[in-house]
Amino acid sequence: MQISEQNKEKDGLIETVNESTSEKGSKVYELGYLLISSIKEEDLPVTYGNLKELVLSFGGEIISDEMPKLINLAYSMQKVTSNVRKKWATAYFGWTKFTMDSEKIVELKKHLDLDPNFIRFLILKTVKENTIAAKRFVRGETYKRPIMKKSTENETAVPINKEEIDKEIDALIAA
Amino acid sequence: MRQDYFSANNIKFIDYKDVEILKKFLNPNGKIMSHKKTGVTSKNQRALASAIKHARFMGLLPFVVK
Repeated sequence: MQISEQNKEKDGLIETVNESTSEKGSKVYELGYLLISSIKEEDLPVTYGNLKELVLSFGGEIISDEMPKLINLAYSMQKVTSNVRKKWATAYFGWTKFTMDSEKIVELKKHLDLDPNFIRFLILKTVKENTIAAKRFVRGETYKRPIMKKSTENETAVPINKEEIDKEIDALIAA
Repeated sequence: MRQDYFSANNIKFIDYKDVEILKKFLNPNGKIMSHKKTGVTSKNQRALASAIKHARFMGLLPFVVK
């Protein structure tokens, strides 16, 4: 019992230490990457899942991400893998945003450098909030029709003369 | 003078993935437009330049348009 309690205490200590370090050293990063287009569409979720696990294994917490999408590159890129130079005109572009220790991010970079699935990647410091600006909506001002006002004015302006109406009715009956 | 695009549209962080916005600040050759032409504040112009450079590196924007 005593041992288990001690362990608990120890665990608690470790947790608090971790929390304090995470508050101190962890920053928000974004990893943008280009995956080689020779990966099949069916296998894409697997590599995507592996990448997520990799980030988690380095103690990262994923904030937001996007599935890699096939894009046409603005210019062709070269990459040497196992002494063979290959050119790529299309690639899967995806990104993940996560918080991680500033020391761990260097290890992550080293790990990604060796990955043959990546053409390129980019690690940036960023902010937690969603940075992609929402599309601007067209002017929301509604155009008020002046006709409505006029009609109401006309109605109020016409005075009701009882005698005239009575006379008209009488004339109609007589006819 | 034109007003700063980013403060007018309430954009606080210029993202390199927002290619549609960044394209507005490129000339027909794909060069970054000057501070004079964009009318963007100095701070945002610097952030804009680095965002465009990041987008170029990731193949989202061209370095040159032939």
